[in-house]
Amino acid sequence: MGAVQKYGFINAKLRARISKILPEALSAEMSRAKSLSEAVELLRNTDFSVVESVFGQTGDIKSAELELARKEVRLYLELEALTKDEVRSIVSALAERFEVDNLKHALRLWFDSHVRGRRIDAGVGYLLRDRVHRDLALDRIVNAGSLEEAAEALTGTPYGELVARQAAEVTRLQSLFPLEIALDHHFYRQLLAAVDGLGTRDREIARRMIGAEIDLANINWLIRFKGFYKLDPERALACAIPEGIWLSPQAVAEAYAMDNPSAVLSELVRRRYPALASLLTPREATESYARLVLIERILAEILMLEVRHLMAGYPFTIGILLAYFVLKSAEIRRIKTVLNAKFYNWPEERIMAAL
Amino acid sequence: MIFPQAMKQLVAVVLDRDADQVTRALLDQGVMHFVSVTEMDPGLSERLSAGSPRVTEAMISEIRRRIEGLFSLGGHGLAAQADLRIEDLRALDLAAANRQLDELAASLAGIRERQQALQQEILKLEDIRRQLGMFGDLTAGLQARSQFSFLSIQSGTVRRAELQAMLEELKSIPSVHLEVGPQDATLATMLLITMKRDDGVVNKILDRHGWAEVELSRDALGGKEEVLADLDGKLAGFREEQEKLKSGIEALIREKRPELERMWANLRLNELYSRIQSYFSHTARTMIFSGWLPARTQEPLDAALQRATEGRCYLEWHDPSEMSTAQKAKVPVQLGGPRLLAPFKMLVTNYSIPQYGTVDPTPFVFVAYLAMFGLMFGDVGHGLVLSLMGVLGLATYKGASQNIRNLLKLAIWCGGSAMVVGVLFGSYFGLSLLPPLWFNYHGAVAGEHTVGVVKDVYGILLITIWFGIGVIGLGLALNWVNRLRRGDWFGLLFDKAGLIGGWIYAAGVYIAFYFAARSYKQLPPGNFLFLTIGLPVLLLAWKAPLEFFLHREHKRFQVSTLIDWGMEWVVEILEIFSGYLANTLSFMRVAGLGIAHVSLVIAFFAIAGMLRGPAGNFSPWSYLVLVAGNVLIIALEGLSAGIQSLRLNYYEFFSKYFSGSGKAYEPISLRKLK
Repeated sequence: MGAVQKYGFINAKLRARISKILPEALSAEMSRAKSLSEAVELLRNTDFSVVESVFGQTGDIKSAELELARKEVRLYLELEALTKDEVRSIVSALAERFEVDNLKHALRLWFDSHVRGRRIDAGVGYLLRDRVHRDLALDRIVNAGSLEEAAEALTGTPYGELVARQAAEVTRLQSLFPLEIALDHHFYRQLLAAVDGLGTRDREIARRMIGAEIDLANINWLIRFKGFYKLDPERALACAIPEGIWLSPQAVAEAYAMDNPSAVLSELVRRRYPALASLLTPREATESYARLVLIERILAEILMLEVRHLMAGYPFTIGILLAYFVLKSAEIRRIKTVLNAKFYNWPEERIMAAL
Repeated sequence: MIFPQAMKQLVAVVLDRDADQVTRALLDQGVMHFVSVTEMDPGLSERLSAGSPRVTEAMISEIRRRIEGLFSLGGHGLAAQADLRIEDLRALDLAAANRQLDELAASLAGIRERQQALQQEILKLEDIRRQLGMFGDLTAGLQARSQFSFLSIQSGTVRRAELQAMLEELKSIPSVHLEVGPQDATLATMLLITMKRDDGVVNKILDRHGWAEVELSRDALGGKEEVLADLDGKLAGFREEQEKLKSGIEALIREKRPELERMWANLRLNELYSRIQSYFSHTARTMIFSGWLPARTQEPLDAALQRATEGRCYLEWHDPSEMSTAQKAKVPVQLGGPRLLAPFKMLVTNYSIPQYGTVDPTPFVFVAYLAMFGLMFGDVGHGLVLSLMGVLGLATYKGASQNIRNLLKLAIWCGGSAMVVGVLFGSYFGLSLLPPLWFNYHGAVAGEHTVGVVKDVYGILLITIWFGIGVIGLGLALNWVNRLRRGDWFGLLFDKAGLIGGWIYAAGVYIAFYFAARSYKQLPPGNFLFLTIGLPVLLLAWKAPLEFFLHREHKRFQVSTLIDWGMEWVVEILEIFSGYLANTLSFMRVAGLGIAHVSLVIAFFAIAGMLRGPAGNFSPWSYLVLVAGNVLIIALEGLSAGIQSLRLNYYEFFSKYFSGSGKAYEPISLRKLK
């Protein structure tokens, strides 16, 4: 099958959808709104009208977000149905993110309930119960007596063995992060396996894009390891997701040894994305909160640069699919950030900084 | 009608103290397309200062949009801008307006909080309901708790005096409780269902209130259905309450609507007022503003400004004819024409705005578009359906945007055109119910022996080529008119669509038909060829040198300049010949689409024929195929014909004459929503 035949239809469809992605100006307008209700109202005649209708009915922003996630899953599954062979495998592998995220959500509820002894009644209702690729026994996981029991509930899925393997470590550290990292590893591993089935050009494009995403995920973890978990360097390095494209394990190790872990990001920006160097202002780098916000902003900008590169290139490649998924995720993240910030009455400046 | 409306420019100087009255007059007239005075003459920026309004337009529009958000939250759209009157303009107190809206927002937030609390209850109950649905028998749950169940089911008694307090405490936990067993004045026998994970909390509550476990008989417990029905009842109650709260929000906004509408109107008036004043430049005691307006509105505006200032103003009126070509290009354009042509105006403005003083393509697009569509989609029945869909759409979507309404009107026009052409071709849902007035299109496509001017598909192709020549010829003529009006003599002569280009095109058409008429064996005589093709081609060789000497702009003549001229000449000739040939042949798509339309009809009739009943009549399946086929044809061909007509207009017709570098006329008016 030729590239045009393979990607012609999906390219047209996705480009049309990309044109409907909400402009950043709308997020800014939402952040200026005087209340959550008024911010939600701005979504009425957009692709996010489901948020407005659910919120209008329930007054509950989390229920609206759940509906949004449901819509997103449906979109991925629809794209899966519209594609064939190796392209379908990629979409399917990308859709696995929802399953992994949902499993993480269920495990966090279990952890809150059984390890931290917190009430989770409110949280259970927000679990996404739509099937992505497998039926996950979410109730059994949330209500499991132990992590081994949760692993048993996941028998027959790739996650069962993975959860069982990390159970002891989670108990030892009293933290879910080893399991969450293992799930991230699984997600990228199966995604890269799907990439291996692509033709040369597509494989190159997909590796570049996914590699960039892995780099960014690693940097994000790195900052958390150093800042919150105080992991020793060897352990932190062992957690890094392989197959990043710009950051070698050695670079990560060096960065981790530095006092300021975000220095590795600064280095990456200066070397690979000089256009973003202006974001690295010394004032911002000195305050820890500002630094985290800055890092998030840079990570998002880096991905967007990669997307623009893909969008401007030859249209009949896997690039359009990957670009769409990144753009759509960024759009949803933006909208969710504003809505949650409005829920907690953040001032406009703080919301804008977080976007 | 074929040119945009004549415009006038106003430069006005008025006293500062008259600013308010002048702004009101300008807003009331609503005809000025403002232009910054300093933009007209950058030198003035040093001598003039911009005003510093107390409240900015952005501040006002933010509150206005806030009210609009409340209107849509209340289930009704925008207030009617048509009702705005300048007399209602009042001084604005933004802080008070914000305060009022904040109060309303706080009331709404209160309702939202109640909605959210209910939603939490619903989610908790849904969790239990889901578990209960998966659960077997309730008595089994009491006796042996399944390892896969997350429910905790208990039965017991509690003193009635404690019951209410106990249930109140249980409210924060996902739970279902039913009073079962014998009625007793002092003791209540309860069935309590909670989640296992909450056992610790639940047991503490039960202990506090003197809960005593009792074992109940199967009959006393009742069935799972009973509990589920109780749960469903509770869920329905919560949902109903949520619905009431939602209606409460709408009612609250409805109640406040008159007040909000008044506020909105004043905000909108002040917003426009502020926008107009943002164009005022000031000296010590005067202010200057400038803008464009249709010439026919000059007198009323002049009179209104004189009245507003009691004659204390200086108004200077300029006609674009006094201006340079560069200045003329900045004149805003208002396309005229009857409202009936609005859909075609939309097609033109979607492409671009014509430059001031040049031909308005709308009436030509009206004719060309409909003719092309009709030729591709000529069928009375199909046209009728399309028109009816347009009418139905207009009746159904009354609140739709202007663009959608124009599209629906376009469908009505296209359907009408298809019906007219359908009568000419004698086609009624693919049937020849009446004899054709022009020729039998179906017969020509199907290869039937037909009489008349067109006998086969070649005849159809020929018609569309002639049609294309006509459209291109018209485009050339319009270009000449545009060039003449702009005084662009060089372009008139040497442009690809200029006189020489037209000369070559006319000659090319004549020669092509001459050659074809002689079975592709003989060309016209040499002298004729030289005069019609050779001479204009030689004349074109002068284009580059003349351009060099007329508009050289500091370029120096070098030997390489000669090579450039030669190259330009060759490329120009190639472009003219290949371009005109491609443009003309492009119109064959009109025939192609028309033939495809007829072929599809023939194909569906053939399929319907294959499904005849034993008696040889059409069976119900035949009719089904015909109906489905016609729907498909209308949808598929209607869309294709619409798109191809647009394409031909944009690329083959507009490219000959349309200089789309104009600027739309956008006055600040009480009746515009922007």
